[in-house]
Amino acid sequence: MFLKQFSFFSFVLLLLALAACSPRQEPSAALNRVMDDLGRSLVLPDTIRRVVPLAPNLTELVFTAGAGSRLVGVTTADDFPPAVDTLPKISALPLDFEALAALNPDLVLATDQVNSPDMTDTFAALDIPVYFFSYNDIEGMLRSLRTTGDLLGTPARATAAADSLQHALEALGKRTADVDKPLTLFLIGDDTLYSFGDESYIHDLIAIAGGQSATEDIGTTAPILSDEYVLTTKPEVIFGAFGADYDPAHLLAQHPTWDIVPAVANGRVYSLDPSLILRPGPRLVEGTRQMAMKLHPSLFSPIDTTATP
Amino acid sequence: MSKVWLTTLGLAVLLLASMGTALAFGSESITGADVLDVLAFHFVPGRDATPDPIAERIIWRLRMPRALLALLVGGGLALVGAAMQTLVRNPLADPFILGISSGASAGASLFYLGFLPPLLSKTLSMPLAAFLGGLLSITVVYLVARGGSRLSVARLLLAGVAMSALMASITSFITFASPDPNKLRAVLFWLLGSLHNTTWSTLPLPTVITLSGFVVLLGLARPLDAMLIGDEPAHSLGVPVETIKRLLIVLAALMTGTLVATSGAIGFVGLIVPHAVRSLVGVLHRRLLPACFLAGALFLLWADLAARIVLPSQQLPVGIITALCGVPFFLYLLRRNAYAFG
Repeated sequence: MFLKQFSFFSFVLLLLALAACSPRQEPSAALNRVMDDLGRSLVLPDTIRRVVPLAPNLTELVFTAGAGSRLVGVTTADDFPPAVDTLPKISALPLDFEALAALNPDLVLATDQVNSPDMTDTFAALDIPVYFFSYNDIEGMLRSLRTTGDLLGTPARATAAADSLQHALEALGKRTADVDKPLTLFLIGDDTLYSFGDESYIHDLIAIAGGQSATEDIGTTAPILSDEYVLTTKPEVIFGAFGADYDPAHLLAQHPTWDIVPAVANGRVYSLDPSLILRPGPRLVEGTRQMAMKLHPSLFSPIDTTATP
Repeated sequence: MSKVWLTTLGLAVLLLASMGTALAFGSESITGADVLDVLAFHFVPGRDATPDPIAERIIWRLRMPRALLALLVGGGLALVGAAMQTLVRNPLADPFILGISSGASAGASLFYLGFLPPLLSKTLSMPLAAFLGGLLSITVVYLVARGGSRLSVARLLLAGVAMSALMASITSFITFASPDPNKLRAVLFWLLGSLHNTTWSTLPLPTVITLSGFVVLLGLARPLDAMLIGDEPAHSLGVPVETIKRLLIVLAALMTGTLVATSGAIGFVGLIVPHAVRSLVGVLHRRLLPACFLAGALFLLWADLAARIVLPSQQLPVGIITALCGVPFFLYLLRRNAYAFG
């Protein structure tokens, strides 16, 4: 009797529990099919709560899209914004799949500039959806910002941020539209002279900042320039991604023959924070603004120099 | 006899002509008139006409020191290679066989990628760190190989190979663990061997070390010939075999250490050139060593010219070229001559 009563009672409880569960299961059962930049079709849960980006620029895109709170981990290369310091960090090159799986992400963001598309098989085996971004210009960055908002459910904030960045760039471009465009050389390394070839977005950034990029016709993705090249090209301005506290005199010490290069002779060698330029994320706009201020200081009043777009 | 001198003379003439080529060509094109202008300005006394400043910098301050360093490094490595092959009586020997280059690479990577304690990295420069790394490596090899009063060649070789592997794994570990991709690219460039960023101030030390090493080796030409036959016969001929072995190791450490510290570990010159030259002038060191120096210099000069111009707007590490061009030529040589070592 007692037993019967108990089993009936538990049966009712079970029914109740099932009834309580089923409406909650409904949304996670509703899946979205999306296509990533590589043309791969992937299936995503309706709400994504746990995101891991596999490159620092993607982390910045997620924060700018207003979805920073969804991040449950970043790569060891991440250092911006400061909020990443408290997140778990995993090695992205090569990718530590165990650490990634332990973070139990709903979605992993990757970019074909850093991450190898070969690893999609391993992701499939782990049943973790991975969205690959593929872009190499400013438009692509802004498009990816909007996509990030769509994926993570913050489309309004992402669109607003993308619009504001686009307006800031357009305003900058208008400001420098009618000035002389000095020949500008952008260097990544000061010892071995790594630079950018014709497919890079750097030439667009320099053009918006009011300069003429010296290496935009070089048909190599990552050219290594010779000292001779710099001597005969005669750049009027040299930007280096050597860090904000780099002493420009060091460049002349490394390349003593450059004393007659106009940029060096006129003291127009500037070093920037590399992550503002080399990391194709939202802060490209800030990097462009800093280049514009160095290229055309007269266009910027002291008040403007403290404002960020 | 006269054929040998003719060969050596031919190499010297070829080297001079190649110097001219190395000065006239590069990634930027300079007109022949400008090249002559610059050379006349520096070599013809009492000439006042100042050459074009850009051409002057490119020809005289970039290409000239770089070409001279190519001569020194190529010639020096070929000399040490010949000496090492005689020391261990093994045709596979090269200047790097005793672990000097791997040690130097490990030292340079430790320094460059910031893995040394701050106190050390402030007092060292990269060449010095490389030199010390090479010295440390060969010292360990020497201490392992030394048994009583005799130096075992077999143990020397094995210890050298083992030490090379150890140092190479240290280098790999450091480069793999390095967080800074830009420095990593620069250090990889150096590891493959490159003559870029050579200025006149780079030259004095390698010049003094290489040329004095050359003179000492020439002085040792007879005992070296005797050592080719074997330790025992050389000993019975009155050659102080053990002393000469030690002298050769110190010389190799100094020369290779300095050259690797200056230009990275440029491979295959020290292995291939001595063999190629032996097939031309024979095995006697009196003839072998001068021809080795000239041929090594010639080889690296051309390899560096190729490294500078073969890809538009790319500076290749010259070590890639030496392997790419040197090895097929070497295989051809092996096939053509029924070549016997020693």
